[in-house]
Amino acid sequence: MLDFQNMFNDLFELEDPMDKYEWIIDYGSGTVGLEQKYHNDDTLVKGCTSPLWLAREDSGRIAAWGKSSIINGMASMICDWYNQANTHQQLEFSLNTLTDIGLAPLLSMGRQNGVANLIAKIKTL
Amino acid sequence: MREYFPFFKRRPDITYLDSAATGQTLFSVAEDMQDFMLSNKSNAHRSGNSMGTYVDHQYQSSKELIGKWLNLNNPEQRIVYNSGTTQGLNDATQMIMSAMSSGVVFVGIDSHHSLILPWTQSGNAKWRVVFIELDKDGRLDLNDLETKIKLEPIAVSKVIAVNAVSNVLGLVNDLDSIKKIALEVAAVSIIDASQIISKRQLNLSGFDFVVWSWHKVYGPMGLGCLLIDPIWLNFDPVRPGGGSVTSVSIDSVSWQTNAAKFESGTQNLAAISALPKLVKWLMEHQADIESHDKSLAKIINDQIPLSQFTPISKTDSGLLCLEPAVGSVEDYTMMLDAKNIMIRSGKLCAEPLIQQISNGGLLRLSWGCYTTRQEIELALDSLGDIYARLSKHV
Repeated sequence: MLDFQNMFNDLFELEDPMDKYEWIIDYGSGTVGLEQKYHNDDTLVKGCTSPLWLAREDSGRIAAWGKSSIINGMASMICDWYNQANTHQQLEFSLNTLTDIGLAPLLSMGRQNGVANLIAKIKTL
Repeated sequence: MREYFPFFKRRPDITYLDSAATGQTLFSVAEDMQDFMLSNKSNAHRSGNSMGTYVDHQYQSSKELIGKWLNLNNPEQRIVYNSGTTQGLNDATQMIMSAMSSGVVFVGIDSHHSLILPWTQSGNAKWRVVFIELDKDGRLDLNDLETKIKLEPIAVSKVIAVNAVSNVLGLVNDLDSIKKIALEVAAVSIIDASQIISKRQLNLSGFDFVVWSWHKVYGPMGLGCLLIDPIWLNFDPVRPGGGSVTSVSIDSVSWQTNAAKFESGTQNLAAISALPKLVKWLMEHQADIESHDKSLAKIINDQIPLSQFTPISKTDSGLLCLEPAVGSVEDYTMMLDAKNIMIRSGKLCAEPLIQQISNGGLLRLSWGCYTTRQEIELALDSLGDIYARLSKHV
């Protein structure tokens, strides 16, 4: 069970923020996002500037899909990590985790609020 | 004109293209506000001491200079200080509603929410809102306005409430024709001049209410002006309080006879103290400001990479909104931010218009008198670079 930074080590080796964004977008594009049938008002994450949906699929997998490629990528990373994390790691996970490893600052404050809401919602699933 | 704005020396790394949201601060504004707060803080009006008299002088002088700048007679009868455009529009709406019990307000569909909500959310169901649509170029369709307004019976009270320039379209609406229509049907007129007053010399006479915020005119936040036709001095203030009266007894009140009647409470005097030099500076540089604005509008109109971004309209002044062919506007905004280029994106507090013209949000680049051609070109180049990066993932 990897911690968040170790799971996405390649990203943290990049220096240029634009390269980091592109890596995150690429990650999201390469991930199977939340199936469209789960996109509804109940699964919509509140506080995101562009739409982002998060749900536990019938298979048990937690997945997300967002209209913004960057938010989609970051949400996919969070879901993929969360799906393999142990309970203790899941409980400790917060926006501060992303701040401490330099990921949250890639987002504006408004978008950070959206990601904080994503993390809060994921813990309820 | 960049040298007049300390921000660009302090933050040379930033490309600031969000001036439609707020302009950077003229050097004298920061100096005068600091001077007021640290050396001259006193309250205006009937203080009886020399410090208060100095503040009174700054207050009166600021209104006289605004009068000269905008070519207004009797500015003390016409200029109301308030907290900004939103308060000005709410006060104007309440003044109209107190004078006329019911009616129809014709609001431009290109309006900022602050022009719409005072009417739709007032709780007064006796006022109906009718939207004025856009013509093929994106300006307010005055034929649509004339047709709709003439459908209403003569006895119905009418208000025309429009932006001089929309904060989404950057197109200058035809204020002279709007004024003419308002006169023909005896409609009360409200003009939101927030996006134009820093850029063009306007003829603002003949309108009932004109509003703007000083922070968009290189001035302080928390200060606005509501310009009123003196006829509105015949009505009682919608926010009565200290400063709006000449005398009060247990059972009567005498209101001020000038625009201070509508300025109850202590005004933002630190901000007002910065206006005399700011307005002098605006008058001195008016021609250069206007020609610079037109020149940047032409550059951006000519250089938009049309295969990658669709402009919502061509721009006349101050700002341009784009819809990207690929990717979400949020992605562009975040990636431009990584290059220290500050723009704004989303629904721009103009959702009725955005719902008509966009799939969910727009990118807005907006400039001021300090913006350089190179900054506009850098932003366009960077948008192209981001487009290329995002296209790889489609």
